Amino acid sequence: MGVQVVGRAFARALRQEYAASQAAAQARGRSGQESAAASSITGISLQEAQQILNISKLSPEEIQKNYEHLFKVNDKSVGGSFYLQSKVVRAKERLDEELSIQKKEEKQQSQQNTET
Amino acid sequence: MANAGGMTVDGDLMRYTEYSPKTSVRSDAEIDRQLVSTCFKYLGLLCRYAFHLWKPLGQVFSETVKKMPSSTFSSYYKGGFEQKMSKREASLILGISPASTKAKVREAHRRIMVLNHPDKGGSPYLAAKINEAKDLLDKETRR
Repeated sequence: MGVQVVGRAFARALRQEYAASQAAAQARGRSGQESAAASSITGISLQEAQQILNISKLSPEEIQKNYEHLFKVNDKSVGGSFYLQSKVVRAKERLDEELSIQKKEEKQQSQQNTET
Repeated sequence: MANAGGMTVDGDLMRYTEYSPKTSVRSDAEIDRQLVSTCFKYLGLLCRYAFHLWKPLGQVFSETVKKMPSSTFSSYYKGGFEQKMSKREASLILGISPASTKAKVREAHRRIMVLNHPDKGGSPYLAAKINEAKDLLDKETRR
């Protein structure tokens, strides 16, 4: 009788674990798709955007600081290259897009957690 | 004589009846011509007023453009760097014409590099691209 109870509880736990991992994989897959879509739409990949702005992790403050410095430094009025300035702008746009995708994914995850 | 008079009257009448359709046709053409001429007259008036009004309109337009967020009207180059750097991209990176001399390439490279130096907070990736641009243009320019 006890064995049955334990067995049943174990099976239930297994099933829950499986469902959670599936949901996580789905969520990751969704955000990966969105990120790839953003890369193809903007024409610049996340990795390249990070390299251009010299960003290791996606923190808004670091992104803004590096962006402002690089934008100022490459301004045409001080003899900079407009092409480089454009790339800096596009890199920042791509990183902003990535941040909003992450935020959306986090909100979805927290909704899923409250549901289960 | 009366006959002759009558006949001439008739003849005149006949002539009039003959002419009347022609005059109506002519009046149509007249109307068309008049219409066209009035159209042109108003067009001309419009153009004259447009010249007077255009300058303030243009000012209003440029002011609204400036007030709008610049990102919507930005003419920044799109996308990231090309997979394999071309001579055109190299010249754009250094801000020079593709047909520049070696001296100009060297001067532009130095200027852009000083601005984007990694030791002064520049990005190493951009510095690498600038160097790559200079190397490509050095290879391609003959003078």
